[in-house]
Amino acid sequence: MSAILEVTDLSKHFRSRRGLASALTGQGRVIPAVDGVSFYLKENETVGLVGESGCGKTTVARTVLRLTDPSGGRILLGGRDITHLGRAELRPLRREMQMIFQDLDAGLNPKMPVRAILREALTVYERPSDAELARRTRELLEQVNLKESKLANFPAELSGGEKRRVGIARVLAVRPRLIVADEPTSALDVSIQAQVVNLLRELQKHLGLSYLFISHDLPVVELVSHKVAVMYLGRIVEMGLAETIAHQPRHPYTRILWSSLAEKQTAETATKNVGGVFDFERPTHGCRFAPRCPLYQEMGRPAVCTDAASVPPLRDMGKGHVVACHFA
Amino acid sequence: MFLSIENLRTYFYSRSRRAFVRSVDGASLGVARGETLGVVGESGSGKTVAALSAAGLVAGSPGVIGGRIEFDSRNLLEGLERYVKVEERDGRVMAAEKDEGGWRKHAESLMRRVRGKEIAMIFQNPRAALNPYSTVGAQLVEAIRLHTNHKSKAEAKERALHWLERVRIDSPRLRFDNFSFGMSGGMCQRAMIAMALCAEPSLLIADEPTTGLDATIQARIVELLGELKAETGITTMLISHDISVIRRLSDRIAVMYAGTVVETGAAAEVLRPRAAEQHPYTAALLASVPSAETIRSKSALQAIEGEVPDTIEQPRGCRFYGRCNRVTDAVRSRCANLEPPLAEAGPGHKLRCWLHAA
Repeated sequence: MSAILEVTDLSKHFRSRRGLASALTGQGRVIPAVDGVSFYLKENETVGLVGESGCGKTTVARTVLRLTDPSGGRILLGGRDITHLGRAELRPLRREMQMIFQDLDAGLNPKMPVRAILREALTVYERPSDAELARRTRELLEQVNLKESKLANFPAELSGGEKRRVGIARVLAVRPRLIVADEPTSALDVSIQAQVVNLLRELQKHLGLSYLFISHDLPVVELVSHKVAVMYLGRIVEMGLAETIAHQPRHPYTRILWSSLAEKQTAETATKNVGGVFDFERPTHGCRFAPRCPLYQEMGRPAVCTDAASVPPLRDMGKGHVVACHFA
Repeated sequence: MFLSIENLRTYFYSRSRRAFVRSVDGASLGVARGETLGVVGESGSGKTVAALSAAGLVAGSPGVIGGRIEFDSRNLLEGLERYVKVEERDGRVMAAEKDEGGWRKHAESLMRRVRGKEIAMIFQNPRAALNPYSTVGAQLVEAIRLHTNHKSKAEAKERALHWLERVRIDSPRLRFDNFSFGMSGGMCQRAMIAMALCAEPSLLIADEPTTGLDATIQARIVELLGELKAETGITTMLISHDISVIRRLSDRIAVMYAGTVVETGAAAEVLRPRAAEQHPYTAALLASVPSAETIRSKSALQAIEGEVPDTIEQPRGCRFYGRCNRVTDAVRSRCANLEPPLAEAGPGHKLRCWLHAA
């Protein structure tokens, strides 16, 4: 199996233009939304990306798809370097990589019936005959399990689950190899979430798709992903096989993330430890998790954790399990 | 029962559909003093509208149509039927006439001393519920002076700080002067909870208090609600579609579907996986969340096929019939043609299902 997507040392920095200092110097504060992120995605594989909001998950997604320009690093799509390709060069490659957005209405023109939405998607890269168009439309409906009667409906007449299915059909229309799904289920009800999760897994099996699956729903991520990467403030702090991350996490942040889930379900409050949860600092140097880290507190605040010069590197724990913590 | 809702009906007119939607359609549920009732169900099942009806906060027309809402032995809908006239044909609401002025005047007189003081509510989006033009502290002080005996400014400020501390906001003195936009989502929710509790209400309605927050913050808010429940013993109606939150905090459960309650009972009983006496909808809801077993075997989730029906037409049979996977030939014709009653299935356990009807 070859890597369909290979991301090396990706970073994306935004400049904040707020405040007096930036007005005077003309230079904003640099916010490293994504900082040195590396991972790869093989064919027919799902990599789950988890972390709290603001940790840079969506920025990774958008940068990988070149919807925004990276500040540094390298992105290989099917072995080809797309990091610095221009708009025109990217256009033919766009059909290989598609995105499903959290917003159910994204990409669904409210003034077009479903039939026209699908026709538009089917004719972006190809000029099919009418008969071929009709055949492909039927095929898409079948793939996403949508009734043919829905073709005449406008998006506003569809339920959330149906909108999601049309959105997926639209993406499938160009026959992509890589789909970035950004919170594809979080706007849906549990029962409908289950339908969509099942659908995405079915499609992967039949079409050999690769997914970058972004979600904060940990059980769903664990279910659909082969590998999981945990992000904290712009960096991957731990990555490995889904079951390893869920059941034998090494990084203190990953542990807190998964224990908060267990805590919500049971009356146990085993980890009363996320010190200063509410308004924590956001360091841009050293270990970024240190201000919230229970391990850091326990070990008597070792200087290495907050040393600006020593960002904890991702250490290999075997079997592709990597952890960015000095003490894990 | 401290709060008892009986046969509540709340309808709205949908202009786009040109029809009346029965958002809540004959729902009955009760909360005993000191307990937490968890209300679960998919969106569109009527959870929030039922809660808003109880708090007298339904906006939109015609709104509450009928039923009983008994709160602390007072019927909040006493004598209001005379302002409403509903015309139905073949399970469809053809017309609903409501003397809005008369209803509101009468309803407000019943409600005035109750809402805010006795019944407090926290909402899903705390940032939207807090006033962006006023500091958190000022809003708390206002609520405290209005609803409690702490009338002086200095005294009310002391109480406000006390409440900010109780909801575990760090550096409450500093936060007192913060505006809602300067605070994180989790902190806004804490401020909202302080706001709801500072009037020392006897009933708290929490509508999706953790939805939209990050996983770690969700866990903290759930923990806080659990602690406050233990400390104050406040009667709570907790609405969530997140079964894990409901499971963690509720003593009893009401499962809502298409505007009505299909199962109520003790939390342990209702939410037990694969229980024998369980509504098929409850069972399906529990199964659609990935369990440890599903994840381990990487098997498909048990989705509930189809969607919540719109409640424009009153179904002839069971509302869940079209999506139910447990119908047997023995009950099929009854399921299709006759709505099952909410019948006793055990002590304190009620089910609306022909499979479990005696």
